[in-house]
Formats: sequence, structure tokens, C-alpha cells
Amino acid sequence: MNDQLKAILEVLIFLSQEPLTLDRIKEVLGEVPEEELQATLAALRADFNQESHGIEIIQSAGGYLFTTKPDHDQWVRRLLQIEKKSRLSSAALETLSVIAYHQPITQAEVSAIRGVDSTYSIKNLLQKKLIKIVGRKKAPGNPLVYRTSEKFLEYFGLNSLDDLPKEEEIAKILEEEKQTIS
Amino acid sequence: MEQENQGWPLPTAETEVNQQTAGDGYQVKLEFFEGPLDLLLFLIRKKKIDINDIPMAVITRDYLEYLEKKEQINLDREAEFLFIASLLIYIKSQMLLPREQEALAEDDPRQQLVDRLLEFQKIKVASSLLREKEEVELQRWRRTFRPPLEKPDELELLEVSLFDLAETFFLIMKRKERESLRIIKGKDVSVEDKLKEIIDYLGKNGSMDFLEYFSSQDSLEEALVSFFCLLELVKNHLVVAIQEELFQTIRVWLRKDKATHQIHGPGHE
Repeated sequence: MNDQLKAILEVLIFLSQEPLTLDRIKEVLGEVPEEELQATLAALRADFNQESHGIEIIQSAGGYLFTTKPDHDQWVRRLLQIEKKSRLSSAALETLSVIAYHQPITQAEVSAIRGVDSTYSIKNLLQKKLIKIVGRKKAPGNPLVYRTSEKFLEYFGLNSLDDLPKEEEIAKILEEEKQTIS
Repeated sequence: MEQENQGWPLPTAETEVNQQTAGDGYQVKLEFFEGPLDLLLFLIRKKKIDINDIPMAVITRDYLEYLEKKEQINLDREAEFLFIASLLIYIKSQMLLPREQEALAEDDPRQQLVDRLLEFQKIKVASSLLREKEEVELQRWRRTFRPPLEKPDELELLEVSLFDLAETFFLIMKRKERESLRIIKGKDVSVEDKLKEIIDYLGKNGSMDFLEYFSSQDSLEEALVSFFCLLELVKNHLVVAIQEELFQTIRVWLRKDKATHQIHGPGHE
């Protein structure tokens, strides 16, 4: 294992305020064999996974990032004297799910799926930058079309949209629920 | 990450609640249902009905009963719930109509509703899964968030020259001039009294906001006198005057080392 490379990777990720992508790492390091890079990254992450470390490296929105481990949340808040971070409202979360699974999508389409007018929720999500406008649909009224943003991935700790809960996973949960009811 | 996004999930809770109650008609949430589909799914589950074979009569009755139960009325919300109610009744009537041919399987008037419900059900589950992820992520803290540990007050201050003081003073003077055109006051203000007042003020409050203090003076004359006093104090190194940025207010502190023994002797060198 290349200890020096490991140390450099640690530095690069530590310094990055946004998730550091593999491409960017390669750009900085120049020629390092892909395999060695991957293996070293994995080793570095494993180091921080140990219980003696309060921070870890996560994969988020397509890059690597240092964060504190969730278990230590209360200590951070005690230090900063900050209340718990607030969650999305259930209306906003539902709207976001619809957009995430049906993107690109218009406001009217979101509202139709939810059976509820979603104008406000969409505005709210736009403000939070969890979704973005990607254009207009060629349909009557040329309505705006929305997609989830990079920040959406970061917010939910997803590396890419492929990390969204899968159809099968959802179907399995529905099946389990059905069984507990009957 | 840009400045405004640091620690961005923090301030949202209150605003969200406020806006919800104010604008979007969230007060009528039919108890806790997000919308009509939510209510419908709930009723279907409660009755242990197979979603692919919904007895329309039963579910329509339940649904309408539920609508009647609620007390508050909010037209916007109401419309969405009523829309589904009318859809239910429509489907029910379609099913009652005699058909000339045996209906094909895909011809079931319920199909569209069932599709919507199935889709909505998936979204609900996806939402709850995302909620779990959110829960974990909200407990992570990133280095981008700068802890508010240091008071910016004490940092990056620049000491101002007498010219800066004077300039700020004339700014106030102009304002005062406009205000006190009609007021004639015979009150005499002595430099000595004012000196004491300022030092007392500083002793009590620690520091003084230059702009604030001068605008609070009763008359032009009084403001003028206090300005002379301040100049005097600065000259004798009894106080320190600091401006954080050009054209901003100037803060005045007592110099700790000299404050105690020279309080009564300014102006007499």
C-alpha cells in the first residue's frame, strides 16, 4: 500500500468543500494507475471507518467528502449550540420524490400524481435548491420542466440518481406491509 | 460552496411552518392526509381491500363519509378532495351501466384510478425511504460549516484618524441641522460636564456607538460639545476610536491602562 498516496488523498479530500470527484483527483495527481488509486481510496476510507475516528469519508453526489459520523451529531450541536437541523415537510418530501422518480417533469404532472396542487412545494424546493428548472416543455402553455439538483443528491447522501431506492426495494416493502395488514 | 449555503438546512423549519399556515391552506389537512389519494389509500388499507379490485360502492361511501366529518372548510383543499370524490362516483356509475358486450379486462373503468393509486403508493414508500436517508444525513456535519465561535466585533478593526471622526461628525451635523431648525434652547453645556458624561457612559457600557450617541444628543450645541470632548479624549489617549470599515459607524472604547488615573485631567496638559 502506498502510504504517501494515501496521505495525499486525505489532504485533497480534507481541503475540498464540495465532494471531490475521482476525475478531479486524477487531474491533480497526474499519472497514477487507476487500480492503485481505487485501492488506496478504499484503504483510506476503511481507516476512517474505524470507531476511533469521529469523521469519515463518504461518497456523495459523485465525489468524496469528509463529514462527521452521524452518531456524534449531539456533540457537534452542543459545541455550536445549535438545535437539530430541520427536516423537509412531508408535502415537500412527497413532491421531491415524485420529481426524483419522474424527472424531467412539470408542475401540473407532479400535481396530477400527488392529487394535490404542488405549486407551493415546488417553489419551496426551488428555494432550497433541491430541484432546478431545466427548460420548458413543448406543450400548451410551455410549462417549466424540473429536475433534481446536485444538492438533492448531497442532501440525501446519494452518489447518483442510481442510488435512489429501487423499484424492487419499494415493491418489497409494499409486499411486507400488505402481509402485516392481512 | 457559496456563503449562503453554509449550514443551509438550519433556518428552514420556522419559515416553512409560517408559510404553510399562511398561504397554502395546510390547516385543513383532513387530519393528517397529504391529499385525497392519501385518504383513499388509507381507506383501502383499513378495509383490507385488494387495490386491483376495489368495491366502488363501499369505498365511495367511506370516502364521502370522511369528507362530511371534517369541520373546517378550505376551498382550495376541498376542490382536490371533491375532485376525487366525483371521480369515484363517476367510476361507480360507469360500472352500473349495462354493457352490450362483455367488458374486456383493460376496459375496467377503475383501471385509471388503480394506476394512480399504485403510483402514489410507490411514491409514499419512496418518500419514507428518503426520509430515513435525510435523517442520517442531517446528523452529518461538513467542514464547510464555519462554527460561530469568534465574535467578528474584535476582528479586523482599523483605528480611525481624527479626519474620519470629523467626517462622520459633519454627517451627523447636517442631519441635526435639518431637524432642529425651529428649536432654540438656552441650555448651557459645559465641556467638563460632557466629558464626565461620556466617560461615565463608556465606563458603564464598555463602548459607544459614535453615530448613535451623537444623534441622540438633544441639540446641535450639545452634539458639538460632545464631539469636542471626544476629540479631546482621543488626543489625550484616554479612549480609542475604531472603525470597522470606511464610512461605517465608529466605536469608542476607554483605554484600559489610562482610564483610571486621568479621568479628571483631560484638556489640561
